[in-house]
Amino acid sequence: MKILTIGNGSREHSIVESLAISNIEPVIFNIGSLINPGILELCEKSGGKVVRSDPNDPKKVVEIAESISPDFAIIGPEEPQFHGVPDALLDAGIATVGATANCSMIERSKAWMRRLMFKYKIVGRLRFKSFTSVEEAIAYINAYAESIVLKPARQSGGKGVRVISDLQEYLKKEKRAVKEKHAKYLIEKHMKPYSDIDDKILIEEKVSGTEYTLQCFSDGHSVIPTPLVQDNKPAFDGDLGPETGGMGCCSYRDTLPFITKEEVDDSLKIIKQSVDAIQKETDEKYKGIIAGQMMLTSLWGPTLIEFYSRFGDPEGVNVLPIMKTDFVEVCEAIISEKLNKIKIEFEDQATVVKAIAPRGYPDYRDLAKGHPISVDLKLLEKYGVRPYYGSIDVVNGSWITGGSRSIELFAKRDTIEEANEATERCIPAAKLLDGHQLFHRSDIGSKERLLVEADKANLAREIYLYRKEHNLIGRKVDWIPLRGKIEYKG
Amino acid sequence: MAGQCGIFSFSDDWEVARFLYYSLLSLQHRGAETAGIVTSDEESIYVYSKKGRVDDVFRDEEQIKTLKGWYGAGQVDLDHKSKLPFSNGEISVCFSGRVFDYDGEKIDKYDDVQLISEEITKEYKKCDAIGCLNNVTEKINGIYSIIAVTKSGDMLIARDSYGVQPLCLGSLKFNFGVVSNESATLDVIGADFTTDIERGENRIINRYTVDKYVKRENCNSAFCSFEYVYYARLDSIINGISIYECRRKIGCELAKQDDIDADVVIGVPETALPFGMGYSEETGIPAHLGFVRTGIHVRSAIKPTQTERLIGVQLKLNPIRTPVRGKKVILIDDSVVRGTTMRNIVYTLRLRGAREVHVRIGSPRIVSPCIYSDLVPVKDELIAADLTDEEITEVINADSFSYLSLEGLERSIGLSRDKLCAGCFTGEYPISWNGE
Ligand SMILES: Nc1ncnc2c1ncn2[C@@H]1O[C@H](COP(=O)(O)OP(=O)(O)O)[C@@H](O)[C@H]1O
Ligand SMILES: [Mg+2]
Repeated sequence: MKILTIGNGSREHSIVESLAISNIEPVIFNIGSLINPGILELCEKSGGKVVRSDPNDPKKVVEIAESISPDFAIIGPEEPQFHGVPDALLDAGIATVGATANCSMIERSKAWMRRLMFKYKIVGRLRFKSFTSVEEAIAYINAYAESIVLKPARQSGGKGVRVISDLQEYLKKEKRAVKEKHAKYLIEKHMKPYSDIDDKILIEEKVSGTEYTLQCFSDGHSVIPTPLVQDNKPAFDGDLGPETGGMGCCSYRDTLPFITKEEVDDSLKIIKQSVDAIQKETDEKYKGIIAGQMMLTSLWGPTLIEFYSRFGDPEGVNVLPIMKTDFVEVCEAIISEKLNKIKIEFEDQATVVKAIAPRGYPDYRDLAKGHPISVDLKLLEKYGVRPYYGSIDVVNGSWITGGSRSIELFAKRDTIEEANEATERCIPAAKLLDGHQLFHRSDIGSKERLLVEADKANLAREIYLYRKEHNLIGRKVDWIPLRGKIEYKG
Repeated sequence: MAGQCGIFSFSDDWEVARFLYYSLLSLQHRGAETAGIVTSDEESIYVYSKKGRVDDVFRDEEQIKTLKGWYGAGQVDLDHKSKLPFSNGEISVCFSGRVFDYDGEKIDKYDDVQLISEEITKEYKKCDAIGCLNNVTEKINGIYSIIAVTKSGDMLIARDSYGVQPLCLGSLKFNFGVVSNESATLDVIGADFTTDIERGENRIINRYTVDKYVKRENCNSAFCSFEYVYYARLDSIINGISIYECRRKIGCELAKQDDIDADVVIGVPETALPFGMGYSEETGIPAHLGFVRTGIHVRSAIKPTQTERLIGVQLKLNPIRTPVRGKKVILIDDSVVRGTTMRNIVYTLRLRGAREVHVRIGSPRIVSPCIYSDLVPVKDELIAADLTDEEITEVINADSFSYLSLEGLERSIGLSRDKLCAGCFTGEYPISWNGE
């Protein structure tokens, strides 16, 4: 059996690894813009190879795919989906695991996603306004917006989101100035490269609470969950620093220590309803991975922040290595629409994944780029910690950093704290050979951090359960002078 | 001691000066003699500091506008002699504490701010930010809390191994990091608490990283116990302990020491109000508000001269008639420094017809000055260092008078004496000059 994988990050490294350990012993190929050393090794060992090409170009991908003629393809990242790579592969007669261009609208356009949730009255939806002009956005900010989130309307690699809570009257002026500047920046600069959706920015109501990701397999009929994972977006320890694509995640068996079974079920319900809605809207089957990035809020309980039409990165690296079911079998079940016929099981373990990035990530990528990197595999072996290579390019046999997260370290143990400790011990394994520095977050998976998250969850839970009991869930009522009482309708 | 804060924004579209202004306002109770703010935009360092309260110093809106940039720090101080933040165009340092020896040399009081600032500047030229802090703090024998900003975009934060002064870190997600002595500052500007700066921690915040280095001397914590009874805000969490809960428990502890058949419990505003509530909760004796204050709240133990204090108190506290007329009153205050304040309060209560006045103090007897700050007056000015409880009862003309026991304080805070600095209550200090 031959399998083609698309994408070259840590997530794809773990996808390729899960395929490589299959009993079916497939020959694995990969197309990526960088040559990922981990993927390279696994592909070559399996008898396949890695081709450097643009994974977002459907024509090029199909050309390479036809020369390989794989039994099926798996799309790792979201951009190839947005660019129609799965569609092109399917047209060429190659079975594909990964949402089509239309289905991946659920991730590509946050405006489309929010409208869908309103149209189908799916719970956990947030009120929003979308704008295409700076003037309208600023007029809105000045007239109404209080605590808000400003975000690009399109998925743009985990950047550009600003969360601005605005409760202090005395700091309004400064906050308004930043809101305006950021709205202008998003519309005039950030969204410039993207012309594949009409909306430019979203202004959303700001909620708060603990966050978690629920990643699922979908074959167009069934939606099967994987263990719940918590990612951490701010770059630095203590939730400081700018937004990143994710600095590290933890999971604990099939849930997280601070999320209840009911909340997992409710979250899954939201995802299932959304998949149904997507299929109705697009008239296509959703075959691949869908993930809900959720927040437990006092407004709704489980609340949808955004969807991924693929595995999260790093979140995917938490769940794939502990999947007991043969991944090839899972892919085949997705393709043949028989997910309900197999049982997908995971090890009863806690996992921690930590991203290590060169100084400069995420905002100064030129600084982060171009450094030779080495990894002490012996140290990792000693603690049973596994590396998943990310933004590293093999150039003439040397490993050179790209601008993003270089490596993700994975550990599984009985508890999150133990897994955290194992990864922490292995941080020194990664080194830049030119003296430039690497950084990571040491607090992810620590006891202190878990307590903070549990506290946030409890606070939200107490309120949303009360609101549920009193039929207030999702409701927000306001009074505006001269207009009277208004209820924001969900 | 002082009130210190710092803000580091991770994107340059923020103007932090007003956030620092409100942060300092939230720390005003930690020092009303001087106030200053420093900011930077990586082009220049902008500093403004003066004698006076925060809202006086920054009365002029234009003044705040001249403080440009997306990162900065601020300090309010008890000590009018200190000029903070100390700045030299490259680096600006907010320092609070007391350096006894530096690199083995004895340091005079008031020389330490300048010395530490100069040393930081010197080391910063030689090595990276964290190396600079490590090199400087290693040579300090003393206690300190440091927040410094550099023109080249670093924020330097340090707390001594004893952790005498509190320091915590918060975040306005994706926007900025905030550091302050008190967690209430975070609430005031809308940030979330993330963690305490550890004892012996040096931390750097810049665009590229948040670096932390902890090298702790082999010692217990010596958290300032005065913070708990008096200094910190009621809505702060200090070293993981809620100030409000601690003060409520102090009231309970005072009640456990007593068996008085009283009619009403009255706490002297503001600090002693929760003591009164705790006392009432423990005994079932109703708590009432007893006073209304006129004018702004100035911490009386911190006011410079005796006369000013007398006027201050009379102006400040007017008893409400009905809760005291014909009643046996338990009157609780936070401290007795020189006795003058308390004598006045008892006198005015008697004028309003109180039958008995039993005075309770929500802190142990203050017997010694604070060798780290001007928080507590020198020994000759402390009534408790000179007179017995019976004598004080006479001086203030009360029916009875007693302090919280040291054990009661330990139980209220939830920490034993060996983890606290109780120097003002015991005369024993965790650290002083080398060899002393
Ligand atoms: N409505 C919201 N309320 C509060 N926080 C939000 C909201 N939307 C996003 N966030 C925060 O911003 C982060 C990134 O937003 P998200 O929509 O997931 O965009 P991205 O594509 O950049 O990941 C989230 O993980 C969450 O922490
Ligand atoms: Mg996201």
